[in-house]
Amino acid sequence: MRESEIVLDFATQVRRALELQGFQVVQTRQGNENPSFDDRSATANAQRGAVFVTLHISSTGLPGTARVYVNSDLPPVAGANGLIPWERAQAPFLGLSRRFGDLVQGFLTQRFKGSPDTAQTASVRQLRTTAAPAIAVEISSVTVEDRADLERMAPGVADAVARGAAAFKPSYVVPNTPGALP
Amino acid sequence: MTSRWKIVLIGGLVFIVLAAAIYFPILRRRVKRAARLQQQSEEQARRELTQPIAINPGDPRVKTKLFWASDTIDATLVPVTVELPLSRDPVLRSKQVLNTLLAGPVDAELRTLPPDALLLAFYLLPDGTAIADFSEALATSIPSGIVSEQLAVNSITRTLEANVPQVQRLKILIHGQEVETLAGHLDLTGTFVVSTHPAQAPAADKPAAAASGTLTPDKTPDKMAQPERKP
Repeated sequence: MRESEIVLDFATQVRRALELQGFQVVQTRQGNENPSFDDRSATANAQRGAVFVTLHISSTGLPGTARVYVNSDLPPVAGANGLIPWERAQAPFLGLSRRFGDLVQGFLTQRFKGSPDTAQTASVRQLRTTAAPAIAVEISSVTVEDRADLERMAPGVADAVARGAAAFKPSYVVPNTPGALP
Repeated sequence: MTSRWKIVLIGGLVFIVLAAAIYFPILRRRVKRAARLQQQSEEQARRELTQPIAINPGDPRVKTKLFWASDTIDATLVPVTVELPLSRDPVLRSKQVLNTLLAGPVDAELRTLPPDALLLAFYLLPDGTAIADFSEALATSIPSGIVSEQLAVNSITRTLEANVPQVQRLKILIHGQEVETLAGHLDLTGTFVVSTHPAQAPAADKPAAAASGTLTPDKTPDKMAQPERKP
């Protein structure tokens, strides 16, 4: 079972669900290419008013559950030079990421029993350099004997992400960050 | 060739085939067992070479909290109290508790770190920053995923927090190098907060009442280590 292929299937369904809600979706990969963390962040950071969702399938954890992660606390951005440091691009968005993550996690928990009630915090590398509300969704797990068990989760995950994004949209006000465009 | 010689020859061939049919499976089992024993002894030798910090029975036995995975709650850690003779030197003490953590709990299912991972080196800077250098197996043998990678790091930081008060934050290296992630997800470029309390020597080590190797699960709720970024 190749995680990258299953994740791409999930991403395709998430994309469809988001587009049905009226969102424009930009994928950081279309196939088996493997862009770097910074390449993916660069794609996201080039958008205006975007949210960032990275999908993963774990090798452990209770099968049939899904967890949302937001980045751990980062030192606040100092605005002396008017620029957001790339290494801490997520810092001004942590509060928004938390709100977005809790919304998506809530919808996931309704669908997948045993999932946590709120988004978890972790030092996820991909999220740190992303200058937008950003979450990681991790589905458990590749240890299921039948790939179909995982594939059956995809519509529920896609629906939760799309509903979470729709619920989050009215509260999404881009934070006043140094270097941000007017 | 006379018919008698033909019978002797055929009989001999049949005997050789039968002997081979019996002997080859036995030989194969012996080769496999020898390979397994060699692998075990290599692993043992590597551990002995890279872990010269043995537990000194002369050190006072203290209650040591080690954090392994919970067997009841998914993706959480629980402390297990083990009585160990620990050095008062913070570097030696850190090596002792981390090597015990790496050795794993009685139930292998509750491991947080790969069984073949090794602690190669451990340093403690005057400002309380510890640097732990692990073998590549920590990154290559760990199950991939945010949850498993975070449990691994948290089990290390929480074990250090509980037993070595001098350690304030932790930097993890893999085979002497800074790496971007542990196994594709968890960020290892910064340091992890171990303790927010001011550093102090473990003066309050209480010798254990009994010198048994009992394991006592503790019910302290889980707490996740917060990473800290370099300025």
